[in-house]
Amino acid sequence: MTQRPASTVPIGLIPGPFHDRLDALSHARGWMDWAGYMSPTVLDTAEFEYFAIRNQATLFDISPMHKYRVTGPEAPAMINRVVTRDVRRIGEGRVGYALWCDEEGMLIDDGTLFRISDTEFRLCCQERMFGWLLDAADGFDVAVTDESDTVAGLSLQGPTSFSVLKDAGLDVADMKPFDLREVEPDLWISRTGFTGDLGYELWMPWEAALALWDRLWAAGGHWGLRAIGYDALHIARIEAGFMAAGMDFQPVHAALRLHRGRTPFELGFGRMVDFDKGHFNGRRALLSHRDYGARTHLVKLDIGGFKPAQDALIYHRKRREVGHVTSGVWSPTAKRNIALAELKAPFGDSKTSDLWAEIYVNEEGRWNRRMVPVTVESKPFFINDRARATPPGAF
Amino acid sequence: MSARFDVIVIGAGHNGLTAATVLARKGKRVCVVEKAAQAGGMARMTDFGGGATGPEIAHLLYNLSPAVAKDTGVAFDAQPLPTIALSPDGFHAEIRGGTLRRAEGTLHPDASAFEALDARLVRFAALLGQLSDKPPPTIAEGLASMASLRDLGGLAKLGLNLKRLGRDDMREFLRIVLSNAYDLLLDELPDGPVAGALAADAVRGAFSGPRAPGSVFTLMYRMGQGCDAAWPMGGFGAFEGAATGAGATLRCGTGVASVDVEGDRVQGVTLEDGTVLQAGAVLSSLGAEATMQLAGPAHFDIEATRRLRNMRTKGTAAKLNLVLSDVPDMPGLSDAQKAGRLIVAPSAAHVERAFDPVKYGRASDAPVIEAVMPSLTDPSLCGQGRQVLSAIVSYVPFAPEGGWTPAVRDDLTARAIDTLETYMPGLSGLIIHQTLLTPDDIAAATGAPGGHWHHGEMGIDQVLTVRPVNGLSRYAFGIGGYYLCGASAHPGGNVTGSPGRNAARRLLTDGIPA
Repeated sequence: MTQRPASTVPIGLIPGPFHDRLDALSHARGWMDWAGYMSPTVLDTAEFEYFAIRNQATLFDISPMHKYRVTGPEAPAMINRVVTRDVRRIGEGRVGYALWCDEEGMLIDDGTLFRISDTEFRLCCQERMFGWLLDAADGFDVAVTDESDTVAGLSLQGPTSFSVLKDAGLDVADMKPFDLREVEPDLWISRTGFTGDLGYELWMPWEAALALWDRLWAAGGHWGLRAIGYDALHIARIEAGFMAAGMDFQPVHAALRLHRGRTPFELGFGRMVDFDKGHFNGRRALLSHRDYGARTHLVKLDIGGFKPAQDALIYHRKRREVGHVTSGVWSPTAKRNIALAELKAPFGDSKTSDLWAEIYVNEEGRWNRRMVPVTVESKPFFINDRARATPPGAF
Repeated sequence: MSARFDVIVIGAGHNGLTAATVLARKGKRVCVVEKAAQAGGMARMTDFGGGATGPEIAHLLYNLSPAVAKDTGVAFDAQPLPTIALSPDGFHAEIRGGTLRRAEGTLHPDASAFEALDARLVRFAALLGQLSDKPPPTIAEGLASMASLRDLGGLAKLGLNLKRLGRDDMREFLRIVLSNAYDLLLDELPDGPVAGALAADAVRGAFSGPRAPGSVFTLMYRMGQGCDAAWPMGGFGAFEGAATGAGATLRCGTGVASVDVEGDRVQGVTLEDGTVLQAGAVLSSLGAEATMQLAGPAHFDIEATRRLRNMRTKGTAAKLNLVLSDVPDMPGLSDAQKAGRLIVAPSAAHVERAFDPVKYGRASDAPVIEAVMPSLTDPSLCGQGRQVLSAIVSYVPFAPEGGWTPAVRDDLTARAIDTLETYMPGLSGLIIHQTLLTPDDIAAATGAPGGHWHHGEMGIDQVLTVRPVNGLSRYAFGIGGYYLCGASAHPGGNVTGSPGRNAARRLLTDGIPA
């Protein structure tokens, strides 16, 4: 192993592959730490950026996601041993959502699994997984590579995103949701995203990032293309009902306290656990969790009033505390006050009536507590057919 | 070819045979599969030629649990042997039944200090010993079931017995249980052959010196059922006899290639020659990692495979077997004492120094030796006046720097014989046959990981609820119907049969699917 001299270790947050362009566009100067990278929270205003997701097209740098490539004849078997779903059902050139658990059946992380070929996968997720995947690979004929800082990712989301690609000379008209394709040498496009809307994710070598950005940018003016930060995406992903690691569940490898882990059943992903595919990590524990029943339920809530309910406690009959909001925002598109919340079982499942959220409001210097009614929703707050139409419409 | 049994036991060592006996006596159809041509594992006799037979690896019984004897019907005619702490100055000491005297029979100046210490350790060891006949305690399952309540009961009983020791003893127990043998011994005894012998007992087979934390625990473990060593008359064949006598089938000469799993349950095993043996349950007395590998890592959780891979299993004990043309001269020892357990460990500090080189892949310059001549106790072992000298030589690395070349082996043999010759002048002139088994050889011959005495270091991180590893400590080994029954399971090694018996009983409790 070669060691680089210490002087080359960057101090503080480091620029990602698109940083030069993002920096030039950043009026707000709002940056956050995402896996050590300088990532925009907001470039202009969160409202403009949010409405661009829903009405135009947006670019968001997702390069700080962790990316791992698993290659080898036993790659399907090795991945199947890690994740709870059966990856044999994810065909070549397809992407699947996947969850993986520790030996106690507690979620380590969720992510997207790209089946590049029969024997080649890329796992894309929030948490660092390299050591874990190396452990998982022991005894399997596979190679695991950490591509986190060699593969750049750019998320192009919004109703005109297809048109932007088309004008940039990238024809993906026949790509269905969750399709994956190498459209040009070293440029992979997947029809995936975190907004619940029409959108694509583009994957390229780190050093090819700026050229691709410029190419899309040149094609995008006509289609209202904007660069966005995390704040806008945060609203869109709650509208789409997607959970986020560290907010809506605690990745169990990062949790120090007992009983902070959650099973896929408790997060509403029981259908993603395939007990018939053979052994996978945590299977035995998950079998007993299935029989024992969920301890909590992660649910989508419609909350009364208009004040975002982030972190609010949830009560049954306004008296008994039964849970709390994990992500809450005002949805500008649905015009509803929406949230994801964790409720103690059986609330959120068999008991959904007479639930209340405790909201604090500051009325010109005087704090007031309001109990507002809460409704458990089964469907995402944002659903639009354009997200699934193939070929997609122009806008 | 295919045959069906209720249970297949992998490995016909004493633990495998014990497990098979317990199950066969309950009417189960049991097949024991052994890779070697002969059963016995580490506890087996070997023919050195010329009418001399002797124990190949293990050469004494310490802790055969009464519970094992009861559940298997194994009966040894065990002749207790005195322990002789050899002193370079010729003033040897004899330890017998918790007492200490000079070899010539006079009072030993440290007798009362030794006896008080020994009595205390035996009392404490009994406390730990009561844990040996059960799976290690757990509180993980809480109050959810009758079985876990019984476990908690066992734990409560341990606490109660600890309380019953009285305040002073309880405090003393808690003070020393995780500490090091060196300090404990030298608090009570001057450093010399007696302290040396006890220090050597504390760490024999271990990858640690007596100054390492946890060596008091291993000393107590050795004393778990009373600390006298014994020679089983006729050898260790009683385990095999009990198993076949109870109706178990013994298949020697072909090892298991894989454990067959379907639907998260074992279906049987496939032998190296392709023979398939079907069974509802499989017990493995191999090392813990090898047991995992036989079924394949894919059937285990990732945490379990990582822990098993990282188990500490570096063996440090080699075995030297000598056939002698006559009883060697041993100045200062009576005939009865010559037949005893002879310890070469001139001081506790000597034992610690002997450990140092093995850390760097070299054998001790001045090895610590436990030698016994079973043919003196059991004349049936040899004809023509010959004697077998069986010696456990510590510390010897599993993988020495540069490998086990003939020169390195010869050097080790010479060093061991040279060390013994201090106490047995003229020994080398009597040798008509010699066999050296390095930890590497022992691993190859028995499958013991690292050639380790206990199939895994008895460190505080690898005993009780974390033996062999966290999450697999109660014999059930992940896959339905798969069990670990060897020394890497609780309570650990030595010729005790306890892991085998406990695993078999666990299987009987869980039930065997038809």
